[in-house]
Order: sequence, then C-alpha cells, then structure tokens
Amino acid sequence: MNREEAPGKSPEEMYIQQKVRVLLMLKKMGSNLTPNEEAFLRNYAGVVHSQMSQLPQHPIDQGAEDVVMAFSRSETEDRRQ
Amino acid sequence: MMSRQMSEAESTVKVAEWQQTYYSSDSGIQSGATTVRDDEGSECSGKKYTTVVENHSDAEAQYTLTRAQRVRAAMFPETLPEGEAVLTTQTDQNQQTNVQRLAEPSQLLKNAIVHLINYQDDADLATRAVPELTKLLADDDQVVVNKAAMIVNQLTRKEASRRVLMQSPQMVAAVVRAMQSTGDMETARCTASVLHSLSHQREGLLAIFKSGGIPALVRMLSSPMESVLFYAITTLHNLLLHQEGAKMAVRLADGLQRMVPLLKKSNPKFLAITTDCLQLLSYGNQESKLIILANGGPESLVYIMRNYNYEKLLWTTSRVLKVLSVCPSNKPAIVDAGGMQALGQHLTGTSQRLTQNCLWTLRNLSDAATKQEGLDGLLQVLVTQLGSDDVNMLTCATGILSNLTCNNARNKALVTQCGGVEALIHAVLRAGEKEDVAEPAVCALRHLTSRHPDAELAQNAVRIHYGIPAIVKLLGQPHYWPVVKATVGLIRNLALCPTNQAPLREAGAIPRLVNLLLKAHQDTQRHASSAQQTYQDGVRMEEIVEGCTGALHILARDPMNRGEIASMQTIPLFVQLLYSYVENVKRVAAGVLCELALDKQSAEIIDAEGASAPLMELLHSTNEGIATYAAAVLFRISEDKSSDYRKRVSVELTHSLFKHDPAAWEMAHNSIPLDPGYIADDLDGAYPPYGYPDIPLDALPLEADMHEPYIPEMAYDPRQAYPEPL
Repeated sequence: MNREEAPGKSPEEMYIQQKVRVLLMLKKMGSNLTPNEEAFLRNYAGVVHSQMSQLPQHPIDQGAEDVVMAFSRSETEDRRQ
Repeated sequence: MMSRQMSEAESTVKVAEWQQTYYSSDSGIQSGATTVRDDEGSECSGKKYTTVVENHSDAEAQYTLTRAQRVRAAMFPETLPEGEAVLTTQTDQNQQTNVQRLAEPSQLLKNAIVHLINYQDDADLATRAVPELTKLLADDDQVVVNKAAMIVNQLTRKEASRRVLMQSPQMVAAVVRAMQSTGDMETARCTASVLHSLSHQREGLLAIFKSGGIPALVRMLSSPMESVLFYAITTLHNLLLHQEGAKMAVRLADGLQRMVPLLKKSNPKFLAITTDCLQLLSYGNQESKLIILANGGPESLVYIMRNYNYEKLLWTTSRVLKVLSVCPSNKPAIVDAGGMQALGQHLTGTSQRLTQNCLWTLRNLSDAATKQEGLDGLLQVLVTQLGSDDVNMLTCATGILSNLTCNNARNKALVTQCGGVEALIHAVLRAGEKEDVAEPAVCALRHLTSRHPDAELAQNAVRIHYGIPAIVKLLGQPHYWPVVKATVGLIRNLALCPTNQAPLREAGAIPRLVNLLLKAHQDTQRHASSAQQTYQDGVRMEEIVEGCTGALHILARDPMNRGEIASMQTIPLFVQLLYSYVENVKRVAAGVLCELALDKQSAEIIDAEGASAPLMELLHSTNEGIATYAAAVLFRISEDKSSDYRKRVSVELTHSLFKHDPAAWEMAHNSIPLDPGYIADDLDGAYPPYGYPDIPLDALPLEADMHEPYIPEMAYDPRQAYPEPL
C-alpha cells in the first residue's frame, strides 16, 4: 500500500506485522490463541504467509533441559568374598 | 619336652626307645586306671571277662600275652613282628574291650608326639644350617648359589624349618638378593618359590618386607619365566593383603607400571591375582588410578570382561573397574573402550556379586556415556531389572537409565518402546521413601516424556499405566527436594498431552503445585536481602519456583485448569515473578500469564496487578520465548485499551522483536500489501515518536468511543488459504 511512498510501513501496518509474528510464535510454542486472534490471522493470511518463513527454525520453549546425575562422587568398598 | 640329647634316628627306632623309657615306670596303665581289670581271672562288677579263643592255633599264644603287651600292640602295631595280628579278648561283639576303646585315641596321641619329635628335628636341622646357607647364597660361584637356593627351597617345605628360615633376617635378605641378582633361571625360580612359601605366614611377610623384598619382587614381574611371574605376583598379593606398608612400597617400586602390562597374559588365575593387586593398590588412591590409566589399564580390563568366563577373574576385574569408575579421567577412557557394553554382558548371570559390581560400575560411568552407541542390549536388560525387589539393583538400574536417556533421543525411544515407562512407574511405586530409587526413576520418566519423537507415546503410557496419582503423590510431605524437583518437571511434560490434563487435575496436582510454589517463593524472599542462595537437599528454591510455575504454565493450556489456577489467587505472584533475576523464572511466569490472559477476567486482574510495566521491559528480552509471551499478554490485556496504548505496545514491539533479526525487519518493511478493506482507526494527533514520555499506561483513560476494535472484523474468506498450523 505504501510502497511507492517513503520507505517503512505505517504504524498500523507495523502493528499487524508484529502481532502476526507474535501469534505465529505462540502457536509454534504450543500455546493457545483466542478466537479473535485466530480470526486476526485468518484476516491477514498474506502477512502470515510472509512471516512464516521468518520464524526461527529451532524450538523456542521446550522446558528445562535433561540433566545428568553424578553418581561417582565417592567410592564404596565391597566385602571381599 | 623331649630331651635334646636324643639321637637322630628313624621314627620307629626313636619310638621304640621312647617306649622303653615309658614302660620303665609305672604309668598308671598297670595300676592307675581303675576301670582296667586284671585279666588273669578275677571278675568285677559290671564287666565280665572271659578268655576268648579266636582260633585253636592262637590258643597258646594268647595265654602268654599280658595286658601290657596287648596295649603295646594296639598302640604300636608297627612294632609287631610281621604276620602277627593284634589279639583281642573281646567276648561280646557288641562291646569293645577297654584296650580296644583306648586304641584309637592312643594312636592319635602317639602320632602327635611323633610329629613333635620330627618337628623339633627339622627345626634343629634348619637352625644349624641357616648361617651356612646364608653364606652360600652370597657366593660368587653361581652353581653354589643355585645349590644353596635349592636346599633352602626344600627347607621351606616343612613347617618347622620354614619357621626357622623366616626368623632369620639375614637368610631372607640373602634370598632376596640372590633372586634379583641371579642370571640363572633355576635360581630365580627357587628363590622366588622360597619367598612365596614364606609369604603364607605373617612372620614371613614381615621378614620379606623388611628385607627389601618388595622392590625385588616387582622387578621379577618382568621375568620371562612364567613360574617366577606366578611366584612373584602371588607373593606380592599376599603382602598387599596382609602386610602393613606393602601398598606404599609397591607403589614406590613402580609396581603398577609393571603390573598393568601383565593384564595381557592369558592365564585366568594369574589374571585374577593381578587384577586383585591392582584393586588393592588403587582403591582410594587417585595417583594409582592415573598410573593405571596411563598404562592402558582401561582397555585391558575391558578386554578381560569381554573375553573371559572365569567367574573369579570377572569379579576381580569388575572391582578394579568400579574403583576406576569414580575417577574423572578414567571414566571416559573406560567408556570409550567399550566398558558399558562389556559390563552389560554380565548382568544376567548366576553370580550375584559380579552382577552387583557391574551395576555399580555402570552407574558410576553412566553420566559419561550419554553419547555412546550400541547400548540397546544394556537398556533392555536394565528395563527388565526394574522388576527386581533388590534395592541395590533398583538403585543402579534407575540411575543408569536416567543418565542414558539424558539428551539421547535414540535411547529414549528404545526404552519407551520396550516397556520402560510401565517398569519405571512400578519402580516408583516400590521405591516408597527410598530417594536413591525414586529420584532417578522420576528423572528417567521426565526424560522419556519430552524431546524425542515418541515423547507423546510415553506421556500417554504414564496415564495408561496408572502413573499419574502415584507421581502427584510424590509432591506431598515430607519433601525431599530433588524428588520434588524431578516430579514437577515430569508433571509439566505430562501436561503437554491434552488427555492428561483432566487426570492431573483430578489427582490434585494444581493445589500441590501452587502450595509448593508459594513455599519456595517465600523462602527465596526471606533470603533475598542476604544475597545468599538457599539450598535444601542440594536444590535451590529458585529451581522449585521455576519448575512449579513451568508446570502450571502447561497445565493452564486446559480451560478448567486455567480457571482453577486463577481461582487460587496466583496472578499477583506470577506478576511478581516477572521481576525475578532468574531468566527462566521470567519465562515461565510470562508463559503462564499468557495462558491465563486468554480468559477476560484473568486478563483484567493481570492488568490490575500492574503487569504492563514489567512486560514492556520483557519485550526487550533477548530470549524470544520471553519476548513473545510478554507481547502476547500485552496484546490480550490491551484489547480494550486505547489506541495510544496499543501504539505504545507497537512501538516497543517494533524495537524489540526485530532488533536481532534485520532480515525479518527488512522483509516486514517490504512485504506484500495488506488486505484491502482495512479501515484506519481514528488517531488522536501525531503519532508519538519512540522515546515515549513517561506516561504510566494504567493512567490512560479508556473512553467508550475508543472501544471500536483497532482492526475491524472481517468475514472469513475461504478463498484465502490459511497457513498450515505450526
């Protein structure tokens, strides 16, 4: 809409871009969206489409990492049989 | 005490002489023993003696024998002329005569006395010979030395002479010197044999130790003669077992450096002694363990575990590996040499002690083996062992499984597929209050329920096998914090499966988690001013705060759970946690608020608690998860806010979400035009620049005519392809 004009988007457009990205990230992280938010994404399917490729590919929030337990802190002697 | 003046004669002759002296006095057999009756005819009460004629030809002979003669014949049958039998006066087959009854005990007594006579003789001989032999062992002529060594070796065969030898420090020193300086194999063998014989008594061990025997024996470990090697290692083994100071002396003499190469020998019994020596030397001694490592010990020991069947050898070798497995340098070497697989071969045999040692060793090694391949067989055996009632076995199996499933998707999948989830649940149930079993079992379940393709399978399996109530119960008192921490993490993973949400709620997970969170948070606040981190059972309360909030975050994906969480007045606490200095705590707090804000009522409470300010800050977080959750909460609480508010949010977002992603920024600027039909909102005055003046957001007036939505609702157009869900 504003391509021929000064570079950059209008504040409204930026807002939409940002909100689409946030909502897509939320979905990627497994969170729920409100019905309004789902509708928002449907309304701006084109923006969604362009944003999809911009999302980070790695998993974002998978909870705490696995951690090893250190068992070899001390020696135990067994009975000589 | 027998007279020293007795002549050295054959035992029978000596006995005969002794006999004579014995019978020359009235010993009591004739007169003292009141139960003995004269057999010349007089009867006595209780016993009736009549003369018995064995056969007609002996009839005369038996009348000439006195009782004394019958006693002598019974005690010293070897003195009877050849062909003559011991005659008896036995009349009743069921009753022995007194002489017959005395015969065996007297034989025993006689034998003991004979041995004593001989012993004394051997001792005498040795005493006289020792000084001479000592001299001869130091002779220049090797033939002489050899002969002397052979004689000394012979002397060690008998106990009495052996004692004399070990009581002579000069003799032992001479043997040691001869052993290490000789070039003759036979001399080496004899002298090593002497020391070996001496090493069976404490006195002998001490004598060897004091004579510098240990360095000499260590040198003999390089001998090409198998017998010398055997004598040397066995003698050293006896010294290590029973002689104080021997371990230090062996280490000082570089004994380990000589012993480790011997692990390449092929005699299982020899290897058993050698490995036992290594265990004695390295237990509790870090330097020894490093020497073993430097000399290729791990590879040789693993080789033995793989290739031998002799139980005693496998057991002694497993003990060395167990000792080495607590050494941070040896651990990776053992693992790299295939130690996990080799030890895993011996978990299903009949030797309980071997199985247990292998398990302890595997447990020690397991944190260094998370990237090892080829452990499928081991994992399956361990899952089977989870059915054991032996607490040691359970402790080890759960511990090993916990570590081997750590960050290893392949191992996680395998354990899940072979029934590991069910087996671990049963282990948890059987563990009761045994934290050494419960903690690793829960950790293993936590690993299985996330970050691998079969995680969902595992999450469902926990529910299917009735694991949820048991797991939630672990949050109860008394709190053992490592178990609590692991359980909270597991519950978070279980909640990822929507079907688990209701069972978790019904098991009472939410109030337990909220109470734990409150308790832990209060604890962190109490110590906040002292800038000290509090640990309980080795766990920081910040970790409990993070874990509980994280679990509640995922539980809040379910609408009913969400309502229950909010109803417990948790929102103020979650807002407070947004200020935590721990990034993970901020993340989970923003996450749970993001879910709670789906409900309008909760969104209003979040706003009323002043969440906007910290959330605005969090928009600038370098952590994408945090920034996303923060933005989402702000969107949700700003739905009814003024456009100014929403603009401010937008400005903050602009400068944060894209700041580390210039390409995305560029793309956002140049992306395809927005859909037509967009109606611009009424803007009040000029759009505020970045560097927004300090206007508190919650002071912005919400005016009724500003309530129209920022973006008008459009009818859904099915021709617009909606992107695939992520």
